[in-house]
Amino acid sequence: VNRTVEDRVRDVRRWLDAARAVYADRARLTASIAASTGLSIEGVTLGFESLELDATQEQLHALVAAAGSAAHIHVILSANVFIAPLRAIAIARAAAARVTVRPSSRDPTLAGALVAAAGDPAVSLAGHRDAVPASAERIDVYGRDETIAHVRRLARPRVVVRGHGAGLGVAFVARAHAGALETLADALAADVIPFDQRGCLSPRIVFVEAAPARAEAFALALHQALDHRGSQVPRGSLTPDERGEATRWRETLAFAGRVWVGADHLVGLDASGTPAMALAVPPAGRHVLVVPVESALQARDLLAPIAPFVVSVGLRDADPHCLVAPPHARVASVGTMQRPPLDGPVDRRSL
Amino acid sequence: MAAESVKSASEALHARARAMIAAFEGGREMPEPFDALAADLARFQAAHVPGYARLCAVRGIDPLGITRASQAPAVPAEAFKVVRVFAFEESEAAVTFRTSGTTRAVRGTHAMRTAASYDAAALAFGAAMFARGLAGARVPVVVIGPSELEAPDSSLSYMCALFARAFGDGRREPAFFVRGGALQVEALRVRLASLPREVPALVLATSFGLVHWLDALGPHSVPLPPGSRVMQTGGYKGRSREVSAADLRRAVAQSFAVDERAVVGEYGMTELSSQFWEATLVDPGARHGVYAEPPWARVVPVDPETLAPVPDGAAGIARIEDLANVDSAFAVLTQDRVRRSGDRFELLGRDAGAPRRGCSISLDEMLSAGAP
Repeated sequence: VNRTVEDRVRDVRRWLDAARAVYADRARLTASIAASTGLSIEGVTLGFESLELDATQEQLHALVAAAGSAAHIHVILSANVFIAPLRAIAIARAAAARVTVRPSSRDPTLAGALVAAAGDPAVSLAGHRDAVPASAERIDVYGRDETIAHVRRLARPRVVVRGHGAGLGVAFVARAHAGALETLADALAADVIPFDQRGCLSPRIVFVEAAPARAEAFALALHQALDHRGSQVPRGSLTPDERGEATRWRETLAFAGRVWVGADHLVGLDASGTPAMALAVPPAGRHVLVVPVESALQARDLLAPIAPFVVSVGLRDADPHCLVAPPHARVASVGTMQRPPLDGPVDRRSL
Repeated sequence: MAAESVKSASEALHARARAMIAAFEGGREMPEPFDALAADLARFQAAHVPGYARLCAVRGIDPLGITRASQAPAVPAEAFKVVRVFAFEESEAAVTFRTSGTTRAVRGTHAMRTAASYDAAALAFGAAMFARGLAGARVPVVVIGPSELEAPDSSLSYMCALFARAFGDGRREPAFFVRGGALQVEALRVRLASLPREVPALVLATSFGLVHWLDALGPHSVPLPPGSRVMQTGGYKGRSREVSAADLRRAVAQSFAVDERAVVGEYGMTELSSQFWEATLVDPGARHGVYAEPPWARVVPVDPETLAPVPDGAAGIARIEDLANVDSAFAVLTQDRVRRSGDRFELLGRDAGAPRRGCSISLDEMLSAGAP
């Protein structure tokens, strides 16, 4: 099938139309999504604000370019952030004339609603237990590394598997912006709250380039911002494992640094000055580690061991040349980290 | 408090811990209650270990008010990876142990100002649970692991060397059969085949070392002298294929021609000074997978979220109270799941947990990932 770039862009636009229809109907879906994701009702409502409803022609051209090409793509979705199916399907649709989508068995709502709203004959839903169709030339799998590895093992020869794994976001507050700590802390809180920080774009470590006292001031401001925003969008339920991890992290940070305990969040401050401390990565669930650094270079060095997992870097101004950002990572202004343009996969490591 | 008086306070606490160990060795009553020394350790550590006072404060605990071990917060094992957990200047450390590294190389560090209490604890309980019945006889010791020279910061290599010196027959044959990270199969085979038949031997091994040995040995066996026993410790950490504990034990027993009950599990951690042993050599009713504690250490299953002890018989994560951990953290919170089983505890291993929600990566996933 010889589809031009414009054909592909048009096909993706059809899915943006579907997204707008689903968004308009979101009240009907909210309870179901809350039940499957563990998010609060307010959390689901907030999450819908990150659903892509539009894109520029330039962004869609970038998406098409990143999408590759195949006759038939099978998309395997996991219990990712609940809006993730739109981008996953849009990329597959840009690449292929035929797409089958296997929604997450734990979180099937949005994928089903999108497919129904799009009415795109090229895209159909597959059952949770259905095998990968024999005609699929490519599998786009979204999930944890073990899921991706499992799909790769089972894939037939010559089937391309594009894995989109787990990751994390980080942020960097430059010395030049030390005068705007409260504003930046509030913007960062706006990036932490959505999806209860379970997304790979969600910031979990913030490097603050300033004297330690400024980093402490930022940690306190972030604690207050999370308190304020958390009162409007309460955290949903954490799993027992998540609660246990949060407890361990709180205890570790209480020992190794300083910790502020909110009703629905934790903010830790690295007071140790040891390089390993930056690796005390908090678990998801609205938990943030603030690390004072002397320079962007130091932040980059501290981040180096986990840099391959960094999907997104938040800055006050989205400077793509910031030293802290690994080359593959998205760079965004803090406060907008959860709303990347629809220009390709959220996680660019797979490209 | 001046460094000298901190040192003397530490020495006094070490002496009390070693008095308990000596009482155990002599079959005497403990010289003081567990809680009395635990409470003094908690106060000492709150005063001199950076971070412990902060941990107490976050938990709303006044260290001066602690009278029982259970009141003192436990330090998560992760803390040993990110900051120093010891009550002295680094230059004063007599030994420093580090946890085994992963690809991302975040290693826990446990520095000790003196190894005397560690040595006493390891030897006393090791003699009781593993070298029991040897009546002080010096026997051949074979270690399927690296020497102290090869792995100078490994607490396991240190303990094995300690055992080789204390229980070994002092012969010149090399005792350690992992060099340059590789098992010396032929040298080990020759050493085992040459063991005198009239005295039992002690084989000390990691689980992955045993798997490599079994893979190299194939269907053959190298019988150990009668009365020999094998210590099996540790997990696999990606260093060999993984085998269930029961299958490994069975295969080890067959390959060495010893009774399965003579294959004894040891459970220890870099962050501790004491070890725990399966009791299959000393108690006919003991099961594999169930470990005994020495009187100076306790394993308490706690709820991972509340950190409160779980009801008897329920599984929790192990909070380990080790009175020989004088200069670091006498209470350590591990990630291992355990369950009380009578006056012992059952080691259940790490819990894989339920599938995660979302695509945020966990620290464990990052640390266990291969090089990208």
